[in-house]
Amino acid sequence: MHSELFGLGALILVAGLLARGGRRLGLPSVPLFMAAGILFGPSTPGPVLIEHPEDLTLLASIGLVLLLFHIGIEFPVEQVLGSGRRLLVAAGSYIGLNIAAGLAVGFALGWGVPEAFVIAGAMGISSSAIATKLLIELRRLTNAETPVILGIIVLEDLFLAFYLALISPILTEADSALELIGDVATSFGFLAALFLLARFGARAVGMLVDSHEDDLVAVLMFGLVALVAGLSQEVGVSEAIGALMIGLVLSRTSLNERIERIVLPLRDVFAAVFFVVFGLTIDVGDLAAVAVPVAFAVVATGVMNTISGVIAARVFGFNQRSAANIGLTIFGRGEFSLILATLAIGAGLDDRIGPFVALYVLVLAILAPVLAARSRDIARVLPLWLMRPGWRFVEEETITTACAHLDQIRVTRTDVDVCPDCVELDDDWVELRMCLFCGYVGCCDDSRNHHATGHFENSGHAIIRSIEPGGDWRYCYVDGTLVQEPLGRRPATSS
Amino acid sequence: MGHGVQITELPGIGRRYDVELGRPDRRVSVIVRKDGTRDLYVFTSTQEEPTAVLELTEERARKLSAVLSETFFEG
Repeated sequence: MHSELFGLGALILVAGLLARGGRRLGLPSVPLFMAAGILFGPSTPGPVLIEHPEDLTLLASIGLVLLLFHIGIEFPVEQVLGSGRRLLVAAGSYIGLNIAAGLAVGFALGWGVPEAFVIAGAMGISSSAIATKLLIELRRLTNAETPVILGIIVLEDLFLAFYLALISPILTEADSALELIGDVATSFGFLAALFLLARFGARAVGMLVDSHEDDLVAVLMFGLVALVAGLSQEVGVSEAIGALMIGLVLSRTSLNERIERIVLPLRDVFAAVFFVVFGLTIDVGDLAAVAVPVAFAVVATGVMNTISGVIAARVFGFNQRSAANIGLTIFGRGEFSLILATLAIGAGLDDRIGPFVALYVLVLAILAPVLAARSRDIARVLPLWLMRPGWRFVEEETITTACAHLDQIRVTRTDVDVCPDCVELDDDWVELRMCLFCGYVGCCDDSRNHHATGHFENSGHAIIRSIEPGGDWRYCYVDGTLVQEPLGRRPATSS
Repeated sequence: MGHGVQITELPGIGRRYDVELGRPDRRVSVIVRKDGTRDLYVFTSTQEEPTAVLELTEERARKLSAVLSETFFEG
């Protein structure tokens, strides 16, 4: 028999080593923490480091609370408010399609209505941590679709808050419809009260936790967060919402950057404990029983992500490559799915949810990085008619916004529909390109005379567009890449 | 100073600065992450993929910038 401290230490160390090994292979950490818990848990054959996972419940719930608190504190309110219609369409269709697929899988399983809603949430909300790491590792931070991906993630976080408020009454057992409505009202009322606190009372809350010394801020912050999370549990709203909302409140104070920095290591440690403890409760034997539904769920998620990637790309005027990048980068599931499963298990729902979500997260953890890295091949098989029909020849190329010649754009339209130089030579052309600096129209590189490229070589005008019907892609000769203006307002550069 | 630097917000990651180097076929983008890490994207050819990506800690980025701006002194 080991002491509890020994078991915990050994388990967390093993989990950390496993995650570090996984990082070398490009695997995300969250599922590996969970896997460590599964492998060394009491219900799995082999060495057992922790006999009674329920002893760690409090530590794990600190992890859950800090995860959501951190989302709240770094939530970019201004960016969400100014995110624009196109991003709302992209994120809305992504979330809508995935939640719908999740509900379909959930109801098809027939485990019950609350279970279906939990599964919908677990399948509907992607892992911010996995997506962000993928963008950094795949060197895609200058791609045009990257701000869109990050914007979708941010809106998903917002959706998570609402979804938690929506399902927390479902998780408590209401006896009648009236009681259920009452619970939903309490839930949203509590949410509204914390919103008001964020809007008007942030200063007072800031004064409560403020100190010159970081160590005291850490202690005060931790106490406040745990208190508010516990309070929301008391009023029958999940602790997750309370933690997220108090994060939002503190993000409105002058302490916000300090707290963001202070909470990070705390969050990392306790979140790892949370993921490991989740794994401890899973029996390897149960995973096989849910393999078939998980396979359906993975396929459904894959299909929905591809469709919503295409929708986002159409809305923003991207090509197939960007569509594949969007759909596959937000393919991973992790922290949110495990949080929802934990809340469901805590509420005494069907205990197959645990193994279902665990296996689903594990499978996507392996698939997401592999597929995201191969997005070029997937772009190749996306049929042309799905996207803008005029975007021929450029479906596999990366589009970037990091082009220093975008300020050369002076002219964007023309009524010329022939290649004047070819007409003069009495020759033919394939497609037409237009210089965005002077409006010159010339033939493309598949044409015999390469007049558009010739124009660049003579004049140095960098950016052209296709003026084929529907073909509004832009290409920079100097940077050798497809380009697009960055989204939204670009902060003025000062001298 | 300041001209030809374009800034893009990357929510959740940080900010991206695209630096115009006044020469064709050369581009540099710097991503300043929230935790202080800098990613230096260097494009030296007309390939769409970056030629090199350097991940620098805040401290190393400062050292590099000190050398670049000739404010680094030995000793």
